[in-house]
Amino acid sequence: MEESDGAVIAGSLETPGAFGAIFDRHGSTLLRFLARRVDPAEAEDLLGEVFRIAFERRSGFERDRDSARPWLYGIAANVVAKHHRSEARRFRAMARLSARRLLDEDPAERAVAAADAGARWARVMGAIGTLPEAERQVLLLFAWEELTYDEIALALGVPVGTVRSRLSRGRARLAALTQGRDTTTDVPLTSCDAGGER
Amino acid sequence: MTDDLEPLRRARPDRLLPDDPPDPEILAREKARLMSAITGPDGVVVHRRTPSIYPRLAYRDEVAALDFLTRAFGLVERRESRMEQPGGLLAWLEIGDGVVMIGRAGEERHGLFSPLDVGAPTAAVNVYVHDIDTHYHRAESEGAQIVTPLEDMFWGDRRYEALDLEGHRWHFAERLPEIRA
Repeated sequence: MEESDGAVIAGSLETPGAFGAIFDRHGSTLLRFLARRVDPAEAEDLLGEVFRIAFERRSGFERDRDSARPWLYGIAANVVAKHHRSEARRFRAMARLSARRLLDEDPAERAVAAADAGARWARVMGAIGTLPEAERQVLLLFAWEELTYDEIALALGVPVGTVRSRLSRGRARLAALTQGRDTTTDVPLTSCDAGGER
Repeated sequence: MTDDLEPLRRARPDRLLPDDPPDPEILAREKARLMSAITGPDGVVVHRRTPSIYPRLAYRDEVAALDFLTRAFGLVERRESRMEQPGGLLAWLEIGDGVVMIGRAGEERHGLFSPLDVGAPTAAVNVYVHDIDTHYHRAESEGAQIVTPLEDMFWGDRRYEALDLEGHRWHFAERLPEIRA
């Protein structure tokens, strides 16, 4: 059995080099999180920043916690928030990429007129970039990182109830933005997707 | 799960590029930077280059394979490069200056399969080690299936071959000093 993250971090107060094991366990997960949110090259730099901040704050980590991952996500979310311009750029690039790739890969998407489907994916990514910061963080930690409500609460340092309310506000806003803005197609986003389920 | 977040989930970048790992070297480099920041300029900074060519092996149970390959064959995982995903784990293992990557088998996993799926290995991994005798005994006692015995070969290698837990074939050798050839 591996030592818990809490025990490793507690040990790293005496022996700083022991903190390397925290990078070993979570570095690749955090790199992927960052690469989804900012330009890939920038993600590499931010990865180092996240772990240096974590190292400096390690005395605040509760030693009876098994996993440092939510805590690291919280630090990374703050780092991303400081780079919102890069994040917005990333979302625009992804909107172009996802529209193209999904059309190639998904026969259900091809059934929808190509231009409409492409526009729809671009709208989702475009809308996500315009959500209030707090709602975007919760929404993406939930939908992309697949964290639980409890983990998101730990990561962001807010009560679980706040996670729930931000998530539901974010969903409503996202739905309004992606459906309301488009008047060229009469196929609503949600029914389109239900039809695409196989 | 069909819900209003499905379009957002499906737009996640690695759902578009399933199972495409980042360059493991990025993680090795960033870890080296972190360690030198933590332990100062005297800290051990290891910069390991990823070889220009390295194989990827597929397993039905890549977690068991990771355990077996480190235990029986003495490979060392580049732990910072490990990627855990719901669909399987990717790991990079090294011995000397060589690297192999392991992942889960499957059509959606780059179309790679385990010898358990195919019925036979279709490639072998050649590895030079130090102290082949110790290596051999360790592999044997940890349950590797020895398929050619440990022996001196006329070209100057002492070698044996073994199958791992799913039947991938490994060829281990040590270059003999001239005197033994």
